[in-house]
Amino acid sequence: MSDNSRVRVTMIGVVIVALFSALLARLWFLQMGPDQRLAAKTPIRTTRDIQTDSPRGRIFDRTGRIVLAQDKVAWAVTVDRNLARRTRARVIGQLSELLGVSVDKLQASYESKRQSVLKPAVVALDVSQDKRLAILERQEDFPGVGVTQLWVRTYPGAAQLHDPALAAQVLGFVGEIDDKQLKQLKQRGYIAGDEVGKDGVEAAYESVLRGKPTIETVEVDPTGKQVGDPIKVVPGSVGHDVYLTLDARIQKASEDALAAGITAARTQQDTSIKDHLAFDKAPAGAVVVLDTQDGSVVAMASNPAFPPSAWAGGISQQAFNELSAPDAHNPLLNRATEGLYAPGSAFKLVTAVASTRDRVRGPYEPYLDTGSFQIGSDPPLTNDGGVAYGSIDLQRALAVSSDTYFYSVGDILWNRWRAGDPNGLGIQQVAREFGFGSKTGIELSEAAGRIPDPKWKQEFAKAFYKTKSAQQANGVWYPGDNVHLAVGQGDTLVTPLQLADAYAGFANGGTIWTPHIGMRIVDPMTKKTVRTIGRKARGHVVIDPTVRAAMSAGFDGAVHANGGTAETAFQGLAVPVSGKTGTAQVYGKVATSVFASYFPSTAPRYVVVAMVEEAGHGADIAAPIVRQVIEAMNGISPVTAIHPRTGQHD
Amino acid sequence: MASLTAPRVRRRTQDEVGPFAHLDILVLMLPIVISGLGLLMIYDSSRRRLATQGLSSFYYVERQGIAIVLGLIAMGIVMAVDYRRIRDAWPLVYLAVLPLLAGVLLLGRNHNGAQAWFQIGPLQFQPSELAKIAVIVAVAGYCHQHRGDLDAWRLAVAIGLAGFVMAIVYMQHDLGTMLVIMVCATSVLVVAGLKPVHIVVLLLFAASLVGVAVASGAVKTYQLQRLAGFADQSTTGTKVSKQNATQYNLGQAKAAIASGGATGAGFGKGLQTKNGFVPEQHTDFIFTAVGEDLGFVGGAVLIGLYGLLAWRLWRISLLSSDFFGTLLVMGVLAMLVIHVFENIGMTMGIMPITGIPLPFMSYGGSAIIASFVAIGLVLNVHMRRFS
Repeated sequence: MSDNSRVRVTMIGVVIVALFSALLARLWFLQMGPDQRLAAKTPIRTTRDIQTDSPRGRIFDRTGRIVLAQDKVAWAVTVDRNLARRTRARVIGQLSELLGVSVDKLQASYESKRQSVLKPAVVALDVSQDKRLAILERQEDFPGVGVTQLWVRTYPGAAQLHDPALAAQVLGFVGEIDDKQLKQLKQRGYIAGDEVGKDGVEAAYESVLRGKPTIETVEVDPTGKQVGDPIKVVPGSVGHDVYLTLDARIQKASEDALAAGITAARTQQDTSIKDHLAFDKAPAGAVVVLDTQDGSVVAMASNPAFPPSAWAGGISQQAFNELSAPDAHNPLLNRATEGLYAPGSAFKLVTAVASTRDRVRGPYEPYLDTGSFQIGSDPPLTNDGGVAYGSIDLQRALAVSSDTYFYSVGDILWNRWRAGDPNGLGIQQVAREFGFGSKTGIELSEAAGRIPDPKWKQEFAKAFYKTKSAQQANGVWYPGDNVHLAVGQGDTLVTPLQLADAYAGFANGGTIWTPHIGMRIVDPMTKKTVRTIGRKARGHVVIDPTVRAAMSAGFDGAVHANGGTAETAFQGLAVPVSGKTGTAQVYGKVATSVFASYFPSTAPRYVVVAMVEEAGHGADIAAPIVRQVIEAMNGISPVTAIHPRTGQHD
Repeated sequence: MASLTAPRVRRRTQDEVGPFAHLDILVLMLPIVISGLGLLMIYDSSRRRLATQGLSSFYYVERQGIAIVLGLIAMGIVMAVDYRRIRDAWPLVYLAVLPLLAGVLLLGRNHNGAQAWFQIGPLQFQPSELAKIAVIVAVAGYCHQHRGDLDAWRLAVAIGLAGFVMAIVYMQHDLGTMLVIMVCATSVLVVAGLKPVHIVVLLLFAASLVGVAVASGAVKTYQLQRLAGFADQSTTGTKVSKQNATQYNLGQAKAAIASGGATGAGFGKGLQTKNGFVPEQHTDFIFTAVGEDLGFVGGAVLIGLYGLLAWRLWRISLLSSDFFGTLLVMGVLAMLVIHVFENIGMTMGIMPITGIPLPFMSYGGSAIIASFVAIGLVLNVHMRRFS
C-alpha cells in the first residue's frame, strides 16, 4: 500500500472517530446533560374514549347441550369512511387482490346501509393472520384500512344440526341500534352504533344477554393513534347466558316436518281453480310444541325462515332485500306468535265447552245431522262435502267434525243473545277464558287475535264504512256471525301459539299458562343461575268432568275412531294421540290446514299444533306434520312421509 | 561420512493452514452479538403492538432470527470464494444487480414512500440493500484496475458506475440509500487517489444538483419536511399543536432517549417505546428502545461495539494484501459508519430523518442479509491476507 493511500485511510479513520465521538457526546447531552429536560413528562394530549365490546351472552336449548347462539371473535378488515373516493377505490382494489374477494363484493359491503355509518365499514370477516399481517406491515399501502376484533354472533346449533335457519324467528337477530331504540336505551348506556337484539329471544332478553362494554379513556397522538396505557378504564362484563325451554332436536324435527308438509301441499291440486291445473301455494306455516304442565315452548317453527347469521358483521343490502322481497313471504315474521289465522274446526274445542256449560246441549244428547243447516232464508250451510252424519252426540261430532252440530249451537246462542240472555255470548266468553283474543304474554312479539262479538262488529263497521246507513247495516250482529264463530270461521283470528295454549289448557285440566320460552338465566362467570323463569297461570277454564270425558273421547276419536277426520293420517302410530283437524276457509284463497293435538292421550304432556296457509284440509297436511313431530319426539325414525291429499272430509 | 539430512520436521506455513485460520474473531463475533441485542430490542418494542393485534409477540423476532441465519449462511458463502475472484469479476457483480433494481422500479411495492420492494409471497426483498455492496465492489474493482492513473476521465467512469445506481435508487424515492451509496463511493474514491481539486469540483457539482432538484420539485414534499423537521427542533414533541408528523416523531424519539437517563428504565420498562409513542420503533427507530430501556450505559456500549467493529474494519483495510482489498473494506466501513451515524444521529436529532436501518439491529431481512454479506467480504479480505 502506498504511503498516499495510508494517509488517506488514516484521514478517514479520523473522520470516523469524530463521528462516533459526536454520537457519544450527543447521547451524553440527551441522557446525562442539559437536554435531559426533554425527557417525557406527563404530556398534554387529547383523549378519546374507546369502547371495547364484551361478548353477548349465549343462548342454550333446554338440554343445555346445544348452543343456539354465541359470540365469537372474528378479525375484520375495515375501511375508513373518510377516505377520498379515489383513494378508497384504490384501497378496495388492493384489498380485493390481497383477500381474494371481488371488488364488487367489497364495494357492496362498504356501501351496505345495514352497516353503521359511525364506524369504519367492515368489508371482510374472518381474515387470516397472514393477510392481517400483510395489511399491518404495509399500512402505507392500505391507507384507512384497519384490522379490528369484532364479536360476531354465531349459531353453533344451526351448524351442528345442519340447519342454518334453526329457530330463526325464535332467536331473532342482532343488529345496529336504531334511533328509536337508542332513545329508549340511552340511559342504560347504549351509544349509537351499538349492537342490540332486534327480534325474538335476542330482543326479549336483551338486558340480560348484553355484554357491558369496557370503556377506556386513552391518549391519542396528533395522527389519532392511541399512545400509552389508558388513563381510565370502566370495566365491562360478559353478558349472561339464557337457557331456553326449546329443545333443539324437537325444534329441528318440527321445522323439517313443517317444510315436508309445505312441500307436499305444493303438489296438491288447487281444486278451487277449475279451468287449468294449479297447485296449492302453501306459502307459509307454523308448528308449536307446548308442555301442557307449565306452558313452556318445546318447539316453535315458522316457515319460511332465514339464517340469523346473515346479520353477522352487518347484513349486506342484497341479503336484506332478498328477505324483504314480497315473494319471500316475510321470513322475519314468527308465524307461530304473529301469524293470524282462522282456526276452523279446531275452534270447536271452545264451542263444545260453551255448548255444554250454557246447556245448549248435554254431552250425550243426540243431534240429528242432516248434512246442512239453514239460517232464515239464506242458502243452507253444509258439512264439508255435504256428508250427513245422522244422529250424533258431542263425542262423535268432534271426531267426525260435524259442522251442523256446532252451527246449531251458534244459532241457538245467537237467539238467546237476541232475547237479552247474557249466556248468548257464551262462545266468546269461553274463547276468552281459553286465552283467545288477547296476547298470551310470551316473551316474543305476538299478535292478540280476535274473537268477534256484537260490540266489535259495531266498532269495526264504524271505523270501516263512511256512511251512517252502511255503518248501521254492517254493524249488526247477525246469526251468521255467531254461527261462523262456532266453527272458528268468519272474523275469528287466532295465532298458532294461542291455539296450542288453549289445547294445553284443556289437556291439563283447565289451567291456561302464560307460555314462556326462557327457562333460566345463568351468569357464565360464576356458572350460577341468577333467575329461573317459572310457570305462570293466566287463567282457568272450568270444564265439567263428564263433558271433559266426552270431549276427550271426541278428540281421541278424531285420530282413532272409524271415520275420524285424522284417522288416516295417524294410522299405525303406536303413540296415543288425540287431536282436532281444522280446514279454515279464507276468502279467495285455498283453506288453511290446521291440526291441534296432545299426547299421550290419557295423561297429556305435550301439545303439538300445526297450521299451513293455503294448503287445504287439516287432515291432509297439518295432521301428517304433527304426526312427524310426535314421531320424532318419541324416537321413531324415520318419520312417516307426507303424501298429499290422503285425508278425510272435515 | 554421514551426510546431514534436513530434519523431517516441517515448519507450519501459511499455505497449509488455510485461510480460515486467520479469521478476525472480533469482526465475526461483533455482528452476531449486536444482532442478538437487536432481537431483544425488537421483541421489547414490538410485542405490545403485536399483542393488541392478536398476533404472536414473537412474530418479528422469529422473522428477524430467520434473516440472521440466512445472513450467516450468505456470509459463509461469500467467505468461501476468494475475494480476488470477486475482484476480477466486478463487472458481473455490477451487472447482476441492475436488473433487480430496474425490476423493482417496474414491479415493486411501495413502502414508506419508497418504492424499493419486491413482494415474494409473504416475504419482501429490497434489492437496493445489495446494490450498495455491488457499487462498492464495482468502484473498488475499477479503481484497482486503473490504480495509479485515475485521471479525470476514468474518475468520471467510476462516478458514473455509482451515479447510475444512485439514479435508479433515487427513482425509487429512496433518498437515504442514495446518500449511503454516495458516501461509500466517495470513500472508496478518496482512498483510491482522488485529487483535492476533483473533490472540490465534485462538491460544487453535487451542491448545484441538489439545488436544481429542490427547485424543480423533483424532491418530494415529505423529504423536504423531514429536512425541515431536522432543522427546526424548537418544539420538544410534547406540545402537539402546529407540528407536522416528522417533528412529532423526532420529538418523541428524543423524549424516549432522554427518559433513559444514565442507566435506563430497564429492559421492557421504557414507557415511550413500549407504548408506541415512537413510530417505527422496531425498525428505523430501534435505538430509542436501547436509549430508553438501557440508558446512557447501554447506548454508549452499543455505540462502542459499533466503534470496535469500525476499528477492526479500518485495521483490516490497512492489512489487506492488495489495493482492491483496501478499497473494498473501506467502502464497507463507510457503509457501516454512515448507517450507524445517520440512524442513531437521526433519533437524537443531529441528522435528518431518513429511512436508513441500524445495521444488525433494525428489523428488516434484506438489510440484515446485506450487512452479513458485507462483513463476509471484509473477513474474506482479512483471512486471505497472506495467500
